[in-house]
Parts: sequence; C-alpha cells; structure tokens
Amino acid sequence: MVAGGVTYFSKARKDKTQEELVAEAARMALYDNDINLDKSEIDGSVTGYFSDHFEQQLKFGAIITDYLGLNPKSHVRIEGGGATGGLAIREGYAQVASGLLDVVMVIGFEKMSEVNTAKGNEFIALASDTDFDFPVGGYYSGYYALMARRHMEEFGTTEEQMAMVAVKNRNNAQHNKFAQTNPKMNPYGMKDGGSIKVEDVLKSPYIAYPLKRLDICLMSDGASVAILASEEKAKKITDTPVWITGSGAGSDAMRAGDRPRDKKSLPLLPHEKPEWYKNLDYPGVHSFRAGREAARQAYKMAGITNPLKQLDVIELHDAYTSSEIQTYEDLGLAKYGDGGKLVQEGQTLVDGEVAVNPSGGLIGNMHAVGATGIMQAVEVFWQLQGVAGKFHGSDKTQVKGAETGLIHSHAGTGTYVTVSVLRR
Amino acid sequence: MTEVFSIDPLIIKNDYYIEYRHSYGKTSPFFTNLAKGKIMATHCEHCNKTYLPPRNDCPECLRETKWVEISGKGTIHTFSTMYFAGEKFLKDVPFYLAYVELEGVDTLFLTRIKTKNPEKLKIGMKIKLKTARDPEWRATDVWAEPDE
Ligand SMILES: [Zn+2]
Repeated sequence: MVAGGVTYFSKARKDKTQEELVAEAARMALYDNDINLDKSEIDGSVTGYFSDHFEQQLKFGAIITDYLGLNPKSHVRIEGGGATGGLAIREGYAQVASGLLDVVMVIGFEKMSEVNTAKGNEFIALASDTDFDFPVGGYYSGYYALMARRHMEEFGTTEEQMAMVAVKNRNNAQHNKFAQTNPKMNPYGMKDGGSIKVEDVLKSPYIAYPLKRLDICLMSDGASVAILASEEKAKKITDTPVWITGSGAGSDAMRAGDRPRDKKSLPLLPHEKPEWYKNLDYPGVHSFRAGREAARQAYKMAGITNPLKQLDVIELHDAYTSSEIQTYEDLGLAKYGDGGKLVQEGQTLVDGEVAVNPSGGLIGNMHAVGATGIMQAVEVFWQLQGVAGKFHGSDKTQVKGAETGLIHSHAGTGTYVTVSVLRR
Repeated sequence: MTEVFSIDPLIIKNDYYIEYRHSYGKTSPFFTNLAKGKIMATHCEHCNKTYLPPRNDCPECLRETKWVEISGKGTIHTFSTMYFAGEKFLKDVPFYLAYVELEGVDTLFLTRIKTKNPEKLKIGMKIKLKTARDPEWRATDVWAEPDE
C-alpha cells in the first residue's frame, strides 16, 4: 500500500454528491501522501459500496470511474455488506499479487443520509434472510442483541464492559479530525458529539437489550481510497510503503441460528490449546466463525503466532460494542470468554498492549458501509508510517513505534469477514 | 410539483415503490401447513439432521430433504426486547425476539415471543410454538409462547 485518503465523515454530507465525496478522498490519496505517482500510472480500480437502495442508483462504479477520470481502464465493483471494504482491499491485493495490474486504486463509499434512519435500518435488515428473519421484525441491532445476551450468558460479559468499548472508541475519535462524533475538529461533525463516560453509555436508551444507543455504530456519508502497488512499483512510489503480508477471508450462514453448536467447528490459532475449549459449543450465536477463519488464514500467511504480542494496532469492525468484544476472542487477542476483561484491563487503549480502533472505529469515527474497510486500511497505513497524528490533526491517536497492524472487516451477523495483516 | 427541501445545495424529494411476486419455492409447505396448525421441518436422512427454517437441500451433503412434523416444544436459547426496529416494524415496538431450541431440530429458530409477563422471560425457559388462525403467509404466522 502506497497511499490513502478519506473524507470528513458526517451523518449527512449534503454539500457534495457521492462522486464528489470520492474525489475528496482520492485527491488526498494522490496529493497528501508524499508519493511519486502520477494519476496516469493507475492501471485500474476496484469500487466497494454496499447498497444500491441508499441513492437509488445502480452500477454506481461506472459514475465513479468516469468522475475520477479512470476510463477506459479495468474496473470491478465488490459488494459484501459490511465487509465490502475489506473484500475490496483483498480484491485489489489479488489483482496486484497475481500480476494482472501494477497499481490499483481501491475506492469505498456510501451515502446513507438520503433516507431516514429507520428506512436505513430496514435496507440494512434486507441484508439478512428476508423469508424467515426480517419478516418477524429482525434487524441488525436486534440480531446483535440476541448474540450479545448469549455471550453474557456463556461467559459473564457485562454491560459495563461493553460501555468501556464505546468510551474508548468515541474518545479516540475526539483526536481524529475526520470523525463524525468530533464536532471540535470536523466541520461536518455531530453537534451532540464529543467525549463520553461509562455512565453516559449505561444511561443511554435501550435499542434492543442489552444494546443501548451509545453501544451502536454510526451511519455515515463519506468515502475512502487506498492505492496498492506491486513491490517493484511501490518502492519507486514511496520510501515508506506498507506491506500487506497476510490476507484471509471467511464466511458463515446468513441466519445465525443455522450455524453449528458443537465441539468440532472451532479452528484453533497457533497459540491456543484444545483443552481451553473442551466445553465450548462453537460458534453458536455468541462467536463469529468467519472472523476466526479469516484470522487463521491471515496469521498463517503473515507468520503471526501470538497476535496480542505481535500486533501493535488494529482497526476492527465495531458495529456494536458487544461485537468488538466478541471479535477480540475470534482474533485470538483473548481466550473465548475473556474479551470483556481485555477492554476492562485497558489493553486495547491507544497506549495498551494492542491499540484497537485508535481512529474511533465505527462507533466514534464513521460507518459509511462501503468506505469502512478501506478507511481501516488507510488508518493502519498511516499508523505504520507514523503519520496518523499529522493526518488526524492530533498526536494523541498515534500508536508509538507501530510496526505490525491488522484490519478486520465484517458483514451481516458474521456472514463474510476479512482480516489483513500489514507491516511497515 | 416536486417537493424541494433546500436550494443550496438543491435537495428534492424522490420516491420509489416496488411490488414483488415472491415465491417460497419448495419451502411453501412450511407456510401452508402453518395454516393447518402443523409445524413442519425438513430432515436429511443421510446426515440425520433436521432443519428449521426448512431447506429443500441439505447443506451438508446436498441430498434432498424430507418433511417431518415437529412438536413445536422447546426452550429459549437467547432473547431480547426490541425498543426500536426497521421502518416496517416501528409500529410493533416493544416486542420480543428469541432464538429457540426446538425438540428434534438441530438449528435455532428465530421467532417472536408473545407473553403477558415479559419480565419472566429467561434463557432456558420452556416455550411452545403457536400458529395463526388467519394466515398472512409469512414467518409471523408462527410465534412462541411460554410453556411453563
Ligand atoms: Zn445431508
């Protein structure tokens, strides 16, 4: 990876069209990253966006390649719900690694503000089973609430621990000028944003027990862009490229209830022992098998044998505070059942053992679905280059001496998950 | 006349309505049997697995499954109260959703719980599936009620 760019994220960027937002992020990628790359050297593009419903425009990729002046070069659109961004990065990586293209622009975007929030929730809910789950009133906060309650039952995870995730991510976002919840630095930020405390989360209204308003991610307008290049080309473009050393992808049943609950479905990571989990029915509805499988593949490829020690910074798909805790366990940062303790001990703070979501993540920074996984790549790229503070407008988000990072992109109730490992 | 919300930037109202003629395909008997008060699941004889929601084709071996009637008795695996919902279901809040474990079924089934005593709901509680007398031909034609 040689360059990255993002827009200011907002509940509603009514000042620009979708393609104008993409241009804002692409311009940052091309001109603010201290690189030696002319736009004409880009061989092709990948666009990632989730829903054609939000803007009532199908095949938006064609508008983007036209608007960015990338025609007549190669282009493909990638869609995979919440994991769209991670899958787009993986597609760009595959195009470069296979030798098909030398330089690829990976572009993610979503403009969710043109419909009301309940309609937006309904569009997202249509990305669940529409014969059996959606018609009974199923929607994503409901599905995650059901999973979170089972996680509490199995492992003793608490609402306070979940609240600590919200506080960490929301407060990290107060030092990132692009973040939607940062009204001090982001001209398009939420007026009622700003830092929060555990009590604020616990006092916020329930959406679906145990999840409260402040446990739940944002809905955003915005775009993000990553430029990937072959090894040879990357060294010419920049003195400080970031290498994608591992890429993994997993999948699982659309209806979480259809997933196994048994003793044989858990893929172990190198540092784990079978006796830890001899009584655990897996994945059930408390864990994400696709995330575990994606991590297993990426760790194997990148030589990660002790993720908590080897990884310095992670941007993780915190759609809900509960799912950040669940994902700690799937990524092997904590034993199954110990995810809540990891955040409670402060191990995932910016200066903790492994910084998780220093950008603010989906709870503090943004969730413009198609842009999210690519925002994560851009954030970890800047962290590993040591320039996160410069871009964010505050040094407080920079993870000191970060050498190895991870991005985790997650769809549905864990239907598609990608994990990529990046190194300086 | 086009409804205009703002001049700079110019923001106008668009809408879009779609009617679908949706087929339930080989899972149709699930819905038509609910109308007769019967709860049917699908069973793979080769894998000895029973699926609900039903599947015509076993995901493990891809052989075709057979219909079996189930008791509809089971327990709550996990449940939650919905205080908010997608636009279509906002009128129903608060309502209760649960994954239930059903006798003779290997998968969990997502359904609404109807009860006059929501404060008594708990994981492990016995439930029984009930069916609608006047079918809407949707998954809401079946729901769970406490059975203890
Ligand atoms: Zn079978």
